[in-house]
Amino acid sequence: MMVKKISQEAAPALVVEEDELLDSEENKSFTDLCNKLAEIRKNKGVIGYIIRNETSATIDLKETEKIFEYAIFSSQVLDSSQEISDLFELGDVRSVLIEGKESNVLCMNLDGNKISIFMEKDADQADILKKISP
Amino acid sequence: MSSEVYTLALKSALQEIQSACPEVTSSFIFKDGEILAKTINTEKETVTQTVDAFNSVTERADIIGGLESLTIQGAKGKVNIAVMNDFHMATVSSKKADEKYVNTLTRVLIPIVIKLVEEIQSALPEQEEITKYDEVATGEPEPVEDEITEGIAEELAEEIVDEAEDNENEQPEEPEENTVTTELYEEPEPVELEAYDEPLLPEPPVTQLMVENLGGLLVASDTVRIGQEVIDQWKELYSDKKINEVEVEALNGKSTRCKFKHIKKSKDLGKGIIKMPEKIQLTLEIVSGELVTVKPVVE
Repeated sequence: MMVKKISQEAAPALVVEEDELLDSEENKSFTDLCNKLAEIRKNKGVIGYIIRNETSATIDLKETEKIFEYAIFSSQVLDSSQEISDLFELGDVRSVLIEGKESNVLCMNLDGNKISIFMEKDADQADILKKISP
Repeated sequence: MSSEVYTLALKSALQEIQSACPEVTSSFIFKDGEILAKTINTEKETVTQTVDAFNSVTERADIIGGLESLTIQGAKGKVNIAVMNDFHMATVSSKKADEKYVNTLTRVLIPIVIKLVEEIQSALPEQEEITKYDEVATGEPEPVEDEITEGIAEELAEEIVDEAEDNENEQPEEPEENTVTTELYEEPEPVELEAYDEPLLPEPPVTQLMVENLGGLLVASDTVRIGQEVIDQWKELYSDKKINEVEVEALNGKSTRCKFKHIKKSKDLGKGIIKMPEKIQLTLEIVSGELVTVKPVVE
């Protein structure tokens, strides 16, 4: 009978700073969401998206010249929505749907990642929300 | 356009909505940043801050062509702020609220109240001074008049809530489909006192219809076809006036004037449709199946 030889020598401990661990989790969450958004982007009626957290951001929009306006708008929506939610004691904002005259926007804050998905009026927002939600 | 009776009617309507649906925890109506009405339990400061936050979003909403509605889904409930022409209606509801029921109440009741009050106002011999919410809430109007107007407003609101509830019970699913419905979000028009010398015409009724293609060799490209029942309504309303054209407006805001005829095929009658040549559809940037509003152009 073969006996597996186990080394008695202790392996050097891998020291992970708590902050690094959090960073790594955040990065994973960010990457996962980016992958999901890239898939959603292929859906009919999706104009583009913005995802950002404290360290990274990804923007994929049809109208590149309007990126700044889209970014400012989505940031304002999330800030104002949390403000309104706090005023009525509704807790954390899970999602915000803005219906515009020309297009709609779905905004979310998932694990510190602020997401805005811009879509045509006829896009299936319920389906998109389902796909992006954890 | 806002006046005491206006504010009282809206306030009563909001209270009735809350009574009919206790899951609506708070609601208010504002216009151009001014609070027109709110439920009793809603703090003025909260409303002011909400309006400010909402305006911050609206100011940057050009990128989506302007804002029509904002729905915030929070962990414990939901806030919806919808634009109804010049008005903004905010509804805060708990997680338990039936969204469809709340929407039926708010999006039907409030425009009806606005419309009815406008009609009542236009029938009044004297136009009241513009009164903001604060003035109604804190002012000291004549007690008898106040009692009467409040009574009317409350009765009005109760009746409409009952009607809205009946409609909800009768048609729980897709109540708008295949029905000819009078558009509720009519543009309020200022009452001109000088015009009392001339007979006042009723406001043109706005009808929502679904677009269907109209094609063929002999079809005029500048003429739409509308159900006889709608045309009859107009004739009844403006018996001695000529109606040669209609104004068609798409949900995207594009509108055009065109001639109209009645729908010939009996199978298409009463279906709430408007048959439209491709040229007009292109003008309005719409396709078959979309909804448009139609109102007569009275000469």
